[in-house]
Amino acid sequence: MTLSKIEQGHGRVVLRNDGSGNVFSELAATYPLKLLSPRLPSPDVSIVYMLSYGGGLVGGDRVRLDVEVHERARLVILTQGSTKVFKTRPGQRLSSNSQAHPITAQRLNVQVAAGSALFLLPDPVTCFRDAKYHQAQSFHLSKDSSVVLLDWVTSGRKSLGEEWVFSRYHSLNEVYVDGRRIAKDAMLLEEASRNAGPLNPRSLSESLAPYSCYANVIIYGSLIRETTQSLSEAYGAITVFKQHAPPPLLWSFSAICNGEGCIVRVAAKETEDVKNWLAKALRDLENVLGVDVYRRAFS
Amino acid sequence: MDSDHEAYVLLLLSDSNLPTGSFVASAGLESYVTHGFFTDLSASSPSRPDKMDYTVNFLRDSLSTYAHSALPFVLDTHRTIEEYLQDQTEHTASDLDPVLSRVRELDELYETMTLNHITRRASKSQGVALLTLFSKGFSKPRLSRHLSVSSDSGLLDLETRATTLVDRLKLLVRREETHGHLPICWGVLTATLRLSPERSQYLHMFLQSRSLLSSSVRLNTIGPYGAQQLLLHTVRPLVDAEMSRCKDLTTGLLASSQNAEQDGLDDDAIRGPTMTWPLGEILTARHDLQHSRIFNS
Repeated sequence: MTLSKIEQGHGRVVLRNDGSGNVFSELAATYPLKLLSPRLPSPDVSIVYMLSYGGGLVGGDRVRLDVEVHERARLVILTQGSTKVFKTRPGQRLSSNSQAHPITAQRLNVQVAAGSALFLLPDPVTCFRDAKYHQAQSFHLSKDSSVVLLDWVTSGRKSLGEEWVFSRYHSLNEVYVDGRRIAKDAMLLEEASRNAGPLNPRSLSESLAPYSCYANVIIYGSLIRETTQSLSEAYGAITVFKQHAPPPLLWSFSAICNGEGCIVRVAAKETEDVKNWLAKALRDLENVLGVDVYRRAFS
Repeated sequence: MDSDHEAYVLLLLSDSNLPTGSFVASAGLESYVTHGFFTDLSASSPSRPDKMDYTVNFLRDSLSTYAHSALPFVLDTHRTIEEYLQDQTEHTASDLDPVLSRVRELDELYETMTLNHITRRASKSQGVALLTLFSKGFSKPRLSRHLSVSSDSGLLDLETRATTLVDRLKLLVRREETHGHLPICWGVLTATLRLSPERSQYLHMFLQSRSLLSSSVRLNTIGPYGAQQLLLHTVRPLVDAEMSRCKDLTTGLLASSQNAEQDGLDDDAIRGPTMTWPLGEILTARHDLQHSRIFNS
């Protein structure tokens, strides 16, 4: 497919494996989306970096990526640094006739064929003050596919005192196995319209305190069964006694699909702590992806 | 539906002695307390908050996420049942199949959107309790000495149809062919009792709030009088606010509401069910990890 056939902000990735290694039969994107695939030592594992020009997205940007993973190929999708969502492009003011809060939207559709695997391990999304961000991701697997899907968000630019002061973050993740939807994860974090009559407004930051990063990981498939099992065991071994203040990090584990998969949620006061926790929890991926690729994802 | 009937049904349903199974559920409050969230987390508050403030913090965050997640399912289930019961054409027992399969779809979607094993468990046990309540507590009694048997016209009357529907649904739940989640069963129950959809949603939020406050009393974080104060002065504006935000949200599964099933990515309005409090999800899911606990959720 040539670039001219792709609409603005769209990208397409088709990854096959001819038996001797992975081959991209398509890898293309248009502004403001940029895709990069570095050469790797392992022939059966590929990385695609999802990048945006200027290191962020602005109000009104629409990005869409369609991905297909075929024939036992393993694909890792990464970003370089967090996805920053600005209300407007820095230094640029909204024209008077445009919407007050234009939405930034990102859509990802992935098909993962039988025996293939997808590892979506981006850096977190960081929405700046007043930004409005929608993200919809759908994953179509077969019974024999495997996925690790990480979706996380931070409270904003802490260095500028921003703590959950974006206008809206809406994230939707849907996972289908052989056409049957096994998980629909919808989360809405919104500052506006939280008032309740005579009561003082309760801010988003009060509801989410004391944490400034929330992560959600959906795991499914036989390739990473060990990860699911070890997380399940570690979780079952926890005993919580009465605490006098919230701990710096909290996580939860819920099995889905009769234990074929799970949902892991993590919250921590520091984004770095969530990252370190994830790196440890997903350490088994070293065996599946190779040490080099694993380090790229969690360095 | 005439308002006298509605008022009477409201009186029945708001009885705190109804066996709805909610007395063993704290919807994450117990875990919230255990994990140390009854402490001052704000850097700059003018006065030290007390336990009642913390209780209201939880109540607000918990109600918001529950309203956004569950009210669309109450509404769409209620609509489905109401439509079936209002359909005046002749009825036979097999006419139930389409309406039951719609209810099962809604139940399945709620299951796939409730990604937390503790909430799933609590929701199912409360849902089934409601169905049992209907068939044992709200179906017409056989009082042959006091009630004359209505003439047999060959068509099923409204109450028979409602009872048959609930019995079939109960059977499906018992056979584990559907889950029997609370918002779905609440929609079924209130539609068969001919409560309006809006009343049904409002009452559901009120009962959810009252149940949270009762668990708060049992956890000894507020007293019984404090709970009454909050019910009168705080719960009402909270329920009103959540109703105005969430009463028109739909699941997207019904033909009349299919736009919600589209992800609404480019659209400003959020139309579908969604969770709004990730912290509550984590704390609720950690319920069983508590060393000692008195609730099931």
